[in-house]
Parts: sequence; structure tokens; C-alpha cells
Amino acid sequence: MCAFAAVLAVALIFLFVGWKAWPIATDYGIGNFVFGKVWSSSTNTFGILPLIAGSAIVTFGALLLGTPLAVGTAVFLSEIASPRVRSIVRPAVELLAGVPSVIYGFFGIVMLRPLIAHFTGSLGFGALTTWIVLAVMIVPTIATLSEDALRSIPLGIREASYAMGATTWQTIYKVVVPAAKIGIFDAVILGMGRAIGETMAVLMVVGNAPVFPKGITAPFATLTSQIVLDMPYSIGLHRTALFAMAVMLFVFSMLLVLAVRLLSKLRD
Amino acid sequence: MHSRDHRQILLSSRRARPHRKTCGSGVRALRALGILAAGLFVSSFLLTGCASGLRNVSQITVSGSTTILPIAEQAAETFMQQKQGVSVLVSGLGSSAGIEAVSAGTAQIGTSSRDAKAEESNLGLVDTPIAYDGIAVIVNPSNPVNNLTSSQLRDIFAGKITNWKEVGGKDERISIVNRDEASGTREAFSKLVMKSQAFDPAAAVLPGTGQVRDVVARASGAIGYISLGFVKPRFTNVTVKAVSVDGVEPSEATVASGTYPIGRALHFFTKGQPTGLVKEYIDFVLSSQIQDSVVIDAGFIPIANGGKQ
Repeated sequence: MCAFAAVLAVALIFLFVGWKAWPIATDYGIGNFVFGKVWSSSTNTFGILPLIAGSAIVTFGALLLGTPLAVGTAVFLSEIASPRVRSIVRPAVELLAGVPSVIYGFFGIVMLRPLIAHFTGSLGFGALTTWIVLAVMIVPTIATLSEDALRSIPLGIREASYAMGATTWQTIYKVVVPAAKIGIFDAVILGMGRAIGETMAVLMVVGNAPVFPKGITAPFATLTSQIVLDMPYSIGLHRTALFAMAVMLFVFSMLLVLAVRLLSKLRD
Repeated sequence: MHSRDHRQILLSSRRARPHRKTCGSGVRALRALGILAAGLFVSSFLLTGCASGLRNVSQITVSGSTTILPIAEQAAETFMQQKQGVSVLVSGLGSSAGIEAVSAGTAQIGTSSRDAKAEESNLGLVDTPIAYDGIAVIVNPSNPVNNLTSSQLRDIFAGKITNWKEVGGKDERISIVNRDEASGTREAFSKLVMKSQAFDPAAAVLPGTGQVRDVVARASGAIGYISLGFVKPRFTNVTVKAVSVDGVEPSEATVASGTYPIGRALHFFTKGQPTGLVKEYIDFVLSSQIQDSVVIDAGFIPIANGGKQ
């Protein structure tokens, strides 16, 4: 019953957004929309390719920075830390997940941006700042799920490895982490979902120029940040375009969920 | 096992599947959460529906320009002190958002720092100018440039001039700080300075006057534009420098006399002629009590002092 309601809610949201977005296909053209390179609401030009690129840059950069950090944390928590240390570190990591994203954004804009501006001579908006902020945000997601994956590896495997004379590091490196790799990959994909959908923090540090970035400290925009920026005043075709961007995001996250499902099947 | 239930709540429902056999209560909690979220989603629709039907009670909503925010807020505070039981809600999301809100009926007054566009004035909006304002071009205080011509400004903001040495400054890249397209300041700047030339699309876009000011105050190569009223450091200790345009220093006197080239009126828009409480509030803003203190203190020019527009 509950599950049915949840499914119905998702279906209704999708239908509503899709229905609102439909005119973009008939009035503007899906090709022009998805592959257009100029986003300018004042001239009714709605090409979202730079925004898609922006979302991809933000997501993959954050994963590149955040994954080693998160997997390292997970390995530390499950393999190395004593119960005492773990009882301090784990709540700390979990707390990171509970911090509202606007706080991360605020930290990014007040502390990180001036710092990066100082060292690079730019305004400090752009990919670099966004990556750092987002990397911290996705660490708890990836770390807790990876830790679960590591913990689900039976103790006997570790014991066998030690019995063969392997050191702790060799055991972690060559045995435990490879054995848990599907679970860890799963965690990374969920982290990716968080990074792609993150809006508030990104909006504050990304610079919001709807162009392909000209460097890692040049302003650009993502699908989500552009939706927030334009939402308050959009009318007509412009609003339709925002709904169509929401559909794009919906499709992306559906693909991610699908990937996770397939991976879980592989693991079983 | 460690504290699995605790973390179940932190993470999303996607977690539920691998642990289906071990954590039934977590899954149930997540489903309940899902329903709650759906409920909130639906009720938020209903609530906005109600708000738009609200117009006669002792509450008025003023929404729009971030430039006008200080005037509208201060006036609202004094107005509420003088009239018990009346509440005036003021918010700033940009001029376009304000005009959109008053057209849609979600606000009784839309504040705007630009004129209504043709398609907007067709909606039956009535314009009440409440003050005049200049748009100051601001740079970092460390920047030696003190004057820019209109055409230099146009080329800078269009992305044609990219280094400060081209306009007599240091050898440093120019970082443009622009406003979002909902901004009336941007619209006015575009009309008065850019003369229908497009802004450099690679410029940083910030959604508020305060943010532009803050960023320019801290980045040495930055240039931006804000309302004259925001140049003085009233709420912060970070400073920005307003440059002269075509040799005219931006000041209340030069804007009022019309010699400063980038001036504009600030507007209150209502749907139809203002009546009742809305009219009282607007009259209050236009009264000398607000005009001679709040408007001047905020760095704007009272409506009575003219300003050649």
C-alpha cells in the first residue's frame, strides 16, 4: 500500500513535469534544445549543451576528488580503526551527511572562494571551488556504503590472507577491497547521484555563466543551478525549458538507479 | 553489527535493497518518509493556491527588486509600527520576479528597478515611481582606474576589452561580475550602457546586489555594477570604488541633475490602481517621512527631487 503510494507519487511527478516540458519538443525542437550551445532567456534561446557539460564536469570532478577520500575513510573505519576511534570518526562522517547543503555552499562562498581567488587571480568561482565543496558533500554517502560493502566480506577471507603471511596492508589492498569492489562501485554511483542533483551549494560557488568553462577557475553553470536561478521569473517557453531540464535530470538519475540495480544483480 | 538502523535514516531508500532481509523497520520508516514527502509536495501546491486568492486581509506582500529592498523593508517596519495588526511582507528575488509575482497575484506590490516591458504593461500594471537611483560601476579599491567612458564600459562588459591595461590600469585580467537576467539593475544597465549589445556570456552571474559588491570588494581584477545606494559600506567594512563614467562622478547630485549617464527610476507596480491598505502603504513610502529619511539614507534620490529621466 505504502509502496504503491510512493510509486504513484513518482509517476505523477514525472507525468506532471513531462507534461509541462512537452512544448519544448513541439515549439523549440529537442535537437535545438539538447545540442544548442547558447542559453539566453532574454532572447528566447534555450540550448542546454553547456549546462549538461557543466553538470558532467561538476559530477566527475567531485567524484575524482571525493572517491579516494571516501574509500580511504571506509577502509580505515572497517579495517584499521580501533572500536574507540571508530566510535568517534563514524559519527563525524555521518554528521557531514546531515549538514544542509546551503551551509556547504556558504562555506564555499565565504571561505573557499576568496582563498582560490587569492591564489589564482580569478574571481574564485568555477570548477575548482565546486569540486572541493561537492567532494566533501559526497564523502559520507560513499564512505558509509563502502564501509558496509567492506564489512560484508567474511572474516574468513581476511584470516586466510593473514595465514598466507600477508601484512595488513596487503590484505586490504589485494584481498578485501577487490572482493568488495562491486559494493564500492555501487557506493560511487550513489555519490554521483548526489553530486549531479546538488543545487544550492553549486549555485553559490559555480559562477552561473551558461557557457563551456574556459578553465577550472572560470565561471560556468549546471542544469540544477540554472533552474534555480531562472525559476523566479520564467514565463512561457522559458519555464517550459526549465521543466525540460528537469526531465533531463530525471532521466540521468533514472539511468544511475538502473546502473545500481544491474550492479546489485551482478553481486548476487 | 554496528548501528545500522541509525544510518538507515541518513541514507536514501536505495540502500534498502541490499539489506532487505535484515532491516524491515528501516525500510518501513523510509516508505513513510516517502509518503510524507509526497504529501508535502501536494500540500505546497494547495498552499500556493490559497495565497494567490488572498487579497483583502490586513497583510500585504511586497516582492521584487533587491535594490529597493532597504526602502521597502524600512518603510514596512515603520508602517507596521504605526498601524497595529497590519503586516507587510517584503522579499527580494529580482525585478522580473516582482513583476511576475504581482501579475500572478501572489504579491500585491511588485517592486522593480527597471521599467515594465511592453508585454508586461499589457497585463494592466500601474506604475508608481518611488525614487530615483544611479547605477554605479564598481571596481576593487586597489584598482588605479578612476574613470571609464561609456564605450569602454560597453566593450568591457561585452568581453571585448579583457585587460585593465587597455583602459589605463595595471596589467591584469578583467573579471566581469554580472547580474542575473531577473535583475532590474542589469536590465537598466543593458539599456543605458550596452545599447542592445550582448553581455559577455562567460561573465560570472550573481543573484543579488550584495553579492556583487562583496565579490568585487575582494577580487582585485573585478568590475561590476550596483545601485548607487549600495556603494557606501553601510553594513560591512569591505569597500568598493565607484568609478566616474564619461568624467562624471556618480553622486546623488549628478544623478538628480541628470548629468550622470546611468540613472533610472525605481518603481512600485500594482495590478490596477492601488486601493485600501496597498494604497496606504504606497502613500506612506511617498510621504516625506520616508522620502526625506529612508530614501536619502539608503543613498537614493527622493521622487520629488526629479532626476532627468
